[in-house]
Amino acid sequence: MAAAAGGGWAAVREKFRAARTLSAVESRKDPETEPYRSKYSARALLQEVKQLLSAAEEGGEARLLAVRRAVLEYELGVNHTDTEELSAGEEHLQRCTQLLEPHRLSPDCVSLYIQAQNNLGILWSERDEIKTAQTYLESAEALYNQYMKEDGNPPLDPSEHFMAEEEKLTDQERSKRFEKAYTHTLYYLAQVYQHLEMIEKAAQYCHTTLKRQLEYCGYYPVEWALNAATLSQYYLSKQCFMESRHCLAAASVIFSQAEQAPSAEDNETEQDQQDLRQRRAEIARCWIKYCLNLLQSARKLLEDNIGELDPDRQSELKAQRKKEEDEKEKGRKKAVLFGTSDICDSVLAMEEKVSSVYPLDFQEAREIFLVGQNYVQEAKEFFQVDGYVTDHIEIVQDHSALFKVLAFFEEDYERRCKMHKRRIDMLEPIYADLNPQYYLLISRQLQFELADTYYEMMDLKVAIGNRLEELDSHTIKKINSLAQLAIKYYELFLDSLRNPDKVFPEVLEEDVLRPAMVAKFHIARLYGKLITSDSKKQLENMQTSLEYYTFLVDYCKKYPDAVRAVETELELSKEMVGLLPTRMERLRAKLCPFI
Amino acid sequence: MAPGVRGDLRDSALPSLNSPSVEGDAIKVYVRVRPPSEGTVLTDGDPGLCLSVLSSNTIRLHSKPEPKIFTFDYVANMETTQESVFSSVAKSVVESCMNGYNGTIFAYGQTGSGKTFTMMGPSDSDNFTHSLRGVIPRSFEYLFFLIEREKEKAGSGKSFLCKCSFIEIYNEQIFDLLDSASAGLFLREHIKKGVFVDGAVEQVLSSAAEAYQVLTMGWRNRRVASTSMNRESSRSHAVFTITVESMEKNNEIVNIRSSLLNLVDLAGSERQKDTHTEGLRLKEAGNINRSLSCLGQVITALVDVGNGKQRHICYRDSKLTFLLRDSLGGNAKTCIIANVHPGSRCFGETLSTLNFAQRAKLIKNKAVVNEDTQGNVS
Repeated sequence: MAAAAGGGWAAVREKFRAARTLSAVESRKDPETEPYRSKYSARALLQEVKQLLSAAEEGGEARLLAVRRAVLEYELGVNHTDTEELSAGEEHLQRCTQLLEPHRLSPDCVSLYIQAQNNLGILWSERDEIKTAQTYLESAEALYNQYMKEDGNPPLDPSEHFMAEEEKLTDQERSKRFEKAYTHTLYYLAQVYQHLEMIEKAAQYCHTTLKRQLEYCGYYPVEWALNAATLSQYYLSKQCFMESRHCLAAASVIFSQAEQAPSAEDNETEQDQQDLRQRRAEIARCWIKYCLNLLQSARKLLEDNIGELDPDRQSELKAQRKKEEDEKEKGRKKAVLFGTSDICDSVLAMEEKVSSVYPLDFQEAREIFLVGQNYVQEAKEFFQVDGYVTDHIEIVQDHSALFKVLAFFEEDYERRCKMHKRRIDMLEPIYADLNPQYYLLISRQLQFELADTYYEMMDLKVAIGNRLEELDSHTIKKINSLAQLAIKYYELFLDSLRNPDKVFPEVLEEDVLRPAMVAKFHIARLYGKLITSDSKKQLENMQTSLEYYTFLVDYCKKYPDAVRAVETELELSKEMVGLLPTRMERLRAKLCPFI
Repeated sequence: MAPGVRGDLRDSALPSLNSPSVEGDAIKVYVRVRPPSEGTVLTDGDPGLCLSVLSSNTIRLHSKPEPKIFTFDYVANMETTQESVFSSVAKSVVESCMNGYNGTIFAYGQTGSGKTFTMMGPSDSDNFTHSLRGVIPRSFEYLFFLIEREKEKAGSGKSFLCKCSFIEIYNEQIFDLLDSASAGLFLREHIKKGVFVDGAVEQVLSSAAEAYQVLTMGWRNRRVASTSMNRESSRSHAVFTITVESMEKNNEIVNIRSSLLNLVDLAGSERQKDTHTEGLRLKEAGNINRSLSCLGQVITALVDVGNGKQRHICYRDSKLTFLLRDSLGGNAKTCIIANVHPGSRCFGETLSTLNFAQRAKLIKNKAVVNEDTQGNVS
């Protein structure tokens, strides 16, 4: 009897092993026309195992049997959910947890129990019941923590219940698999929190998942690096520059390890190489955004109410920073650090290369700018305009934005003007080539950006001119031509809003409302700024200016919802609409004094 | 091009052409309810239907406790004919295509909801002559009808060139259905020509029958799969693209217009893993894979929410959304036909299809005529 049972047990083990191979390995080779063929065969085998086990039920040890049956229920549950049969899957998984309930904290059950709960979490999410999924996953998390506190020994892997004594896993392997199951719990929880819009918590779980992947070597370096780089962008949106830099530095370090490591297969295709270069460029782009955000946030802190650098604020912040430096290093949260000691060292070295505190003067801003600019070059090497139009232009736009924010820190107006000229030089040729039929949105962005840059340059030239005793003809010419160019691009932008019959829309769409109104407002101002000695011409310009101001006032009267978007502009426009006619009257009187 | 010329084109016998610009540029969304296959109503019990069509643009879903009412541009009930679907949906898109706009027609819905029937017609028959032929063959006929008429009217001054390509997106890889030997292809962008599939075969077409031949040939190469849940479900998206180029000589000026017409049959919506349509499901970690292959998508979603701050997301959209970027909130005339099955067993999928269609309605498109003037007036 014992011998027969022993032989039977060997057959059971064999069948179970076959089922697992079918569902894990063979199923990947299934033809597209029958994607679940191996899964279905695996299911049949598992059913057979279940039969055999029931037959052997009498005389066996009850607990041992219960656990083995739980393993089978688990496998069947996963099998059914894999093949889109959710209700059946749920039944099996529920049975599994019921069988294990009394023993869930013991080393032979804990891992299986956690995995069953993971799968129930997935299953409920497929039914769009995220809250239910959450309860399963959070209880899996709690169980892991409780087990680690009370026992902590590497628990049995579920597959071991159907292994012969001599095949059993080492403690190291057990621990690895157990930790992996728990990493999955955290990963699913990250998604649950994301769906429940608990963003901060979701980010924290993503972060922890990444950290654990690194710790347990369960990662593809390239993918890991991209994930870390993407996470850095989350921290950017929260203005957590230290965390953002850490993620990026870790991404760069892990990525360069992947580049250096000889690839597993020697026949690395050109496509793989291409992919690798693209990933490198993607990470570079994340760094660009880092530099840009740091500079822009610093600008926000430093600017006064008309957008110029406020020296009082500057010295105040410098004093504050000095104080904080003394207490430095304390703030560093150990929890967010990635990696074991040698990776950690490389990451820290990487971090040294760029600051994570707000730059407070031109010198500091320039250092960050230069780092950003280097990454611009790196990103452009891959994202060339031929083949990657959108990406390429986005990078150029970032480059322009870097110059724009650097110019804020520059005190010398002439040099500042040159920085803006650099922006024009990079944006204008690209705009000229771009086909708006396919790139309408980008085309509009470029029109607006070009217009704004010319507008800014014109303002700077006026400021420079005001310092002179008298405006020389060269400066006047320059101011006028910059103003004309600004007008040209604002008009191009406004034209792009026209419908195919060239009619300007009666009602502006939400997304273009503000830019369109600002364009109108700026054009009005620009006509006011044009310098001419010809009074008739001057009158014409004032007339045009008045028309544009009037547009704003009338539009807001007609559509009061628009007021919110352009409050300041509207106020100034109203003022001008009041003032201009009197001024024009005076000018007219001067022109024809006899009337 | 002189505005008058375009005016002529519009006024002449195509009065409906004026409507697109008047109606605005929001994506048009049509819902079509297929009749349940014979016998279904009986097995589903009474009243086996989970929805009812209230009018030509509203539909009521019998959800509990409160029924939901959806409003679309057009709702076709079970009796609606193929011809009437074509005239209310595709006709105006084809017409604008003749006028230099890009256009796209999508069929969306769960497997078995009638996408292929709507787009192609009944299977296993010569669809091109069949009275039940679908939107695609009818679009061909209409397009070439318009071209012929245009040619007759303009005489030798105007010429047309039509080319087509047919690709399939499966598992985020692109295959050329016109060249089954080709390996995976790549999407690239051109500063003048927009997004294109690098290396895809382009076949010149001179008649609707020829277009239809190309289509059926490519269709046979599509990937389908059967599971115990679905007898046959398409696992891939198929995109049939026609480029229409017209050249008109007017004294020394040559006007060239080109436009694209994309006809898209999407994979069954219940299997779509990588578009934004899938709702709340969690992404699973592969059992064998070392990596949690979708962690990136989760993080991406987190960053997406980030309030207008400058950021870069390392993961690009799916191939399909990238290819059809112009059609989704870009610069084209687009309409979506959401197909639903009325059986109560399909309630969940029907609800998600209608929700998707509702979201799609919010997307605004801006169409611009693509004109290029060459030559001098010297």
